[in-house]
Amino acid sequence: MASRVLVSLRVRSGPERAFAVFTRDIGLWWRPNSLFAFTPRPPGTMAFEGEAGGRLVERLDNGNRFEVGRISDWEPGRFLAFDWRQASFAPGQSTRVEVSFEAIGDETRVTVTHTGWDQLPADHVARHGFPDMVFLRRHGEWWQGLLASFGSHV
Amino acid sequence: MSSSPRPVASLDSTLSALADPHRRRVVELLRAGPLKAGDLAREVGLSPPALSRHLRMLKHSGLVNESHPAFDARVRVYQLTPEPMIDLLRWLEQTEQLWTDQLAAFKAHLEGA
Repeated sequence: MASRVLVSLRVRSGPERAFAVFTRDIGLWWRPNSLFAFTPRPPGTMAFEGEAGGRLVERLDNGNRFEVGRISDWEPGRFLAFDWRQASFAPGQSTRVEVSFEAIGDETRVTVTHTGWDQLPADHVARHGFPDMVFLRRHGEWWQGLLASFGSHV
Repeated sequence: MSSSPRPVASLDSTLSALADPHRRRVVELLRAGPLKAGDLAREVGLSPPALSRHLRMLKHSGLVNESHPAFDARVRVYQLTPEPMIDLLRWLEQTEQLWTDQLAAFKAHLEGA
């Protein structure tokens, strides 16, 4: 497995329509996942509210909205980025999701990159010198080696 | 070994423990087997007090544990505890699975429309 979370697949659609359906219809295609539940309540309906500067929310059955994160980038047909926070996260902790849409012939490659699981509370460790998610990528082999080594220990 | 991923707070502590090159070096050295604090300090090139700070953080995150040999309670021996790292890898794997499922659902919706 990759230590950076990157998932990609091709869809039979142009990028403009893929982007529109991804954002407008997220309440229709999103599948709630218990491990990644945003709140302890029963899952609601996902929705992008607004564009850049807007937010991704989960609308709960009780009428409340849980803000998953602010939308930082909204480029129809090309690119979308937003923060991702679950209610169980430590205060100040957030992760980031980027979604790119790339035309390949008359299809579109949709790529999701989820980073920031290494985000730290500011007082935890001096941020200086902490190479962000690059650390995980660059040390992919190191991690694999550790895992293999642990596997033989366990 | 635990069967489900740890809460994010614990992953956070694993990652912050590994955020420092000296601590990564300690973990690498311990892969080969348990070591005494003095040997670790020499290998890492830190003074014993400086190393001790790093070891405290590694212990706190649960990556490393400490024991004393039966013959001498003053000697501290450190070794790796595998679970936190495995949990982190498993968590990243679960995140990958989440997006694989979501994109498949998106594709089905888009192409079925």
